[in-house]
Amino acid sequence: MDLKDKKIVVTGGAGFLGKHVIEALVARGVLRDRVFVPRVEEYDLRTREACEKIVQGADAVIHLAAKVGGIGFNREHPGELFYDNIVMGVELIEAARKAGVKKFVGIGTVCLYPKFTPTPFKEDDIWNGYPEETNAPYGLAKKALLVQLQAYRDEYQFPGVYLIPVNLYGPGDNFDPSSSHVIPALIKKIWEAKQERRPFVEVWGTGKATREFLYVEDAAEGIVLAAERYEKPDPVNLGSGMEIAIRDLVLLIARIIGYEGEVRWDATKPDGQPRRMLDTSRATREFGFTAKTDFEEGLKKTIEWYTKNKS
Amino acid sequence: MNLCGKKILVTGAQGFVGTAVVASLKSRGVLDENLLLPSFGEYDLRTREACEEVMAGVDVVIHLAGVTGGVTFHRAHPGSIFYDNLIIGVRLMEAARKARLAEADGEAQAGVKKFLTAGSMAEYPATAPLPYKEETLWDGYPDLVHAPYAVAKTMLLAQAQAYRVQYGFNAIHLLLTSMYGPGEKDDFVIPSLIRRMVDAKRRGESFVEVWGTGKPTRDFLYVEDAAEAIVGAAERYDSPEPVNIGSGIETPIHALATTIARLVGFSGEVRFDPTKPDGAPRRAADTSRARVFGFSPRTDLESGLRMTIAWHLQNRS
Repeated sequence: MDLKDKKIVVTGGAGFLGKHVIEALVARGVLRDRVFVPRVEEYDLRTREACEKIVQGADAVIHLAAKVGGIGFNREHPGELFYDNIVMGVELIEAARKAGVKKFVGIGTVCLYPKFTPTPFKEDDIWNGYPEETNAPYGLAKKALLVQLQAYRDEYQFPGVYLIPVNLYGPGDNFDPSSSHVIPALIKKIWEAKQERRPFVEVWGTGKATREFLYVEDAAEGIVLAAERYEKPDPVNLGSGMEIAIRDLVLLIARIIGYEGEVRWDATKPDGQPRRMLDTSRATREFGFTAKTDFEEGLKKTIEWYTKNKS
Repeated sequence: MNLCGKKILVTGAQGFVGTAVVASLKSRGVLDENLLLPSFGEYDLRTREACEEVMAGVDVVIHLAGVTGGVTFHRAHPGSIFYDNLIIGVRLMEAARKARLAEADGEAQAGVKKFLTAGSMAEYPATAPLPYKEETLWDGYPDLVHAPYAVAKTMLLAQAQAYRVQYGFNAIHLLLTSMYGPGEKDDFVIPSLIRRMVDAKRRGESFVEVWGTGKPTRDFLYVEDAAEAIVGAAERYDSPEPVNIGSGIETPIHALATTIARLVGFSGEVRFDPTKPDGAPRRAADTSRARVFGFSPRTDLESGLRMTIAWHLQNRS
């Protein structure tokens, strides 16, 4: 689908990922006033009415709006994370179907993978076990939307696609420690420790868990490419093909920031999923997406953004 | 939990299983005035408003309402089956969770104390080892024909578990086997066989044709036993883990067909058409977890079939 002359609804368009997706759309010649971003103050997408309103006249819907948080937030709010995400997605997909939307991009999460998936994670393995307990309600709520899109394609020929992004990072992320994910949490902790000359930082878990990180601009590019070129029911991983232990991530961020204090591990706090690394070949094969940003470069840009914008 | 004296909401009360559950509740002494039995015509439970309205003053929810049918129905409507079953269950449980009783001193207490969701053995992975054990529920994808229905139901288990952790909400999930008995719709195997054999006998036909090889096995549970299990779980099962509700006995389709023929008095041939699909090769449930709350089925297959045939002759011929 050529997006240039289309009316596109981007839910969550004002958020971390959303802002970058809009930039990617505009860079392709999509007119900014043809992109509608429903604001949460006006539209509660957990209601059928709001979903039906926002899809009126839309050609394409990119559904990024979600209730999210890091590991701590997930442990404390599993009920809300399940309910908000599943109801929003299910009602929006149904509303889009009834409104005759011609392309729907659903966004899953690496959290939907089974806890012990063999690495690199292949899309064909998503159903082979229960997700890691700390993020299971969130992962499952999003996973349901894949089943809905496949069922709708089957019954209604509804043109929905589904992407599975790995952990995102980059400028514009949430740095609030009560809900942030690991990279912003570490950047803030280590930066503040350096400013205040603290002799050590305390980090959650054992440091042994591994993660793959995708720079947010790359994720945005992958999403827009899928919206333009991908027409199949099979889910597609969006990743960068790297894997780093949390222990090494901490050392890398400390080196970039110039913090030389000690790192102490609080093993009473959870590690989350033991390993994460995606097989990214389907995205390359199906719609030509490959992540471009070098990890250390991406971290530097993120840290720079944080130091300029933190107040 | 003693159900007498509690206000009990039963969704799907007019349906096949619902009717038997209501009878079971009444036989335990639950009074009519304490039974809330909304019909689809009165309340469209796919809407938040209807779910909140029916929840007023409720202590216990037995959620049986759903949209299902035979294989042809599932093949034709995977989308609407997913949407209807999921949105009704999720909105109903959220309405129950939020429902508060206004207390005299203004402090609201949790209204709904127990929420029972009716799942299905269709939720098991297509390649789950037999007999089905609840621990293996998450280890693979359900069979493709029923997957949207199955996933919509399994999401209620996920919701129940998340709500128990965050809100201390007491919601449980039962995995019900194939049920049969008076009131069952014709597109399922037992009523379909009964109807066709009764008709064939009346018309003097020499054979009845059954789809498949006859080799697949199923765990059949008489609906009154299922109703007892549901009510027993509402009273006594409070675990976050799902629980199988079945007879624990595997019956091959060919044995089922010959038994029905004998009970109906059809003396013609039962022919199997192996060019037609069999469905899953075996279904058998490990039913030991249900013994935790004292459930043990009372009706053997032959007795259950007799009662079902009698009902059919009275109501359908």
